[in-house]
Amino acid sequence: MNSPRIYALHDQAITIELGNEINEAINLEVLYLKQDFEAMPFEGFIECVPAYSSLTIYFNESRTQEEVRKEIISRLEKKNLSTNKSTLIETTLGSTINIKPIIIPVCYDVEYGTDLIWLSNHLGLSIDEIISLHTESFFRVYMMGFIPGFAYMGTLPEKLHAPRKQTPAQQIPIGSVAIAGKQTGIYPAAVPGGWQIIGRTPHLMFDKKRNPCSLLKAGDAVQFKSISKKEFESAS
Amino acid sequence: MSITILKPGISSSIQDLGRWGHQQFGIPISGAMDELAARLANILCGNDEHESVIEITLHGTEIMFNEAACISLTGSGSIIYLNDIEIQYNRLIKLDASSILKFKPAPSGCRSYLAIQGGLDVKKEMDSTSTFAPSGIGGINGQNLKMGDIISLSRKKSLHKKADEINITKNGFAVSTWIGVDLKEQQHNGIIRINICTGPEWDLFNEQFRSKFLNSEYSISLMANRMGIQLEGPRLELTEKKEMVSTPVTKGIIQVTNEGLPIILMADAQTTGGYPRIARVCSADLSQLAQCRPSDRLIFLNISENESLQKMRKMKEILKSIEIGLVN
Repeated sequence: MNSPRIYALHDQAITIELGNEINEAINLEVLYLKQDFEAMPFEGFIECVPAYSSLTIYFNESRTQEEVRKEIISRLEKKNLSTNKSTLIETTLGSTINIKPIIIPVCYDVEYGTDLIWLSNHLGLSIDEIISLHTESFFRVYMMGFIPGFAYMGTLPEKLHAPRKQTPAQQIPIGSVAIAGKQTGIYPAAVPGGWQIIGRTPHLMFDKKRNPCSLLKAGDAVQFKSISKKEFESAS
Repeated sequence: MSITILKPGISSSIQDLGRWGHQQFGIPISGAMDELAARLANILCGNDEHESVIEITLHGTEIMFNEAACISLTGSGSIIYLNDIEIQYNRLIKLDASSILKFKPAPSGCRSYLAIQGGLDVKKEMDSTSTFAPSGIGGINGQNLKMGDIISLSRKKSLHKKADEINITKNGFAVSTWIGVDLKEQQHNGIIRINICTGPEWDLFNEQFRSKFLNSEYSISLMANRMGIQLEGPRLELTEKKEMVSTPVTKGIIQVTNEGLPIILMADAQTTGGYPRIARVCSADLSQLAQCRPSDRLIFLNISENESLQKMRKMKEILKSIEIGLVN
């Protein structure tokens, strides 16, 4: 791998870019760096925001771009990611990242999974096959983004890869579970969106009164569990 | 101690300097769009710079003071009346109970900031009082201000004693003779100059489009709000269409949408985005953008990272010197 690209995203933020793809190994490396900065924060550190293949580090006004850049580069050199990263990642992440999956109940009834019929035709799979494929896999939360509490999860089995909608839906109901390309996600609020909707969870993905407010975070493992309409209604 | 929102106007909300530290959960920074004006408003009335202020977008807002208070107003975008008498921005104002502040249409500018000495007594949510209405976070019940909202005031000690030097007249208020600096930069032939640094995907645009971006005039479209400002002007294209994975974005980032038009991300911006990031606005100039309204025209000037940092540093030094001047 090439050495990471480091750039300013804001006067008070620096991004370390390790690639430009949805790749589990790169994402693990991102999360590994996140943990490292969180465990040993430098002076003025605010937070690390992971994306698929990059980590953005925010710092407060007490530190300059130049100082923080130096700090980041020297830390990356110490980690010497490109040579022995796999051992480092295994030893650090193996023990610290929560690998027990978080189970998320989903009602895959066509009333909630409004794109199931379209997907069934498009993918050449029965609705039951779609549900099986979605519930049998373990997913990783690669990153959070889009809106508060939205987790980008992957990687979807290839048989389920479907394009985004041509025109985004005006309002997707809260809790809608959706897929797009290699990804799956859950809409934490009623917003416009372009992913294909396959079901709905009664779980609140984002609750500002909860700490942490988001049910999921980058690095979590997730498995979906099919529930009946009745179970969904009594849980909502 | 409280104030009552008689009319919220086009849009008004409680903001501070932002909700930092929660972007990893997808929560935007939010905070005052014109950060420098919000800081200045607090400094002028003796508050800490981080105190909550009321951001008034354009006009229509009316606020009643249920108690006597000392206030300051910064920014631009309204002609402001206090008890039906026009008052100026960037002053310290002392007023009697029952005074009414009205924000009426002005020919230019976009956002005014009201700071009240002692601060607003608003509960922080996730370390900030800033309102992010789309997710119902901050402010009063997570919402922009509504008619009839009552905001309690705090009694934090003022950092300066300038209010003692002015006496309320029969109008029910008094205005300082001194003026806090106007942080708005001079416009050139009505065109606003916005300093930018090249963005992470700058190299994905060829010379033709880079120079188009830097040498063309863009105008603010009607799609301009706290999340972002969509521009109108020459369209830009990537040299080769490239599928991008979601990348980090934050306020100041300029993305180029599928239609080829630049969109500048502002305070309530998403934390990730999928469009190429052609540039980023120098942090100090986000304040200039916050004061733009639809059809305002702008051009971009490419400056170095270092110049960008210097610019913000200079603005903060100006603010610091005002603060020191008032305290001593």
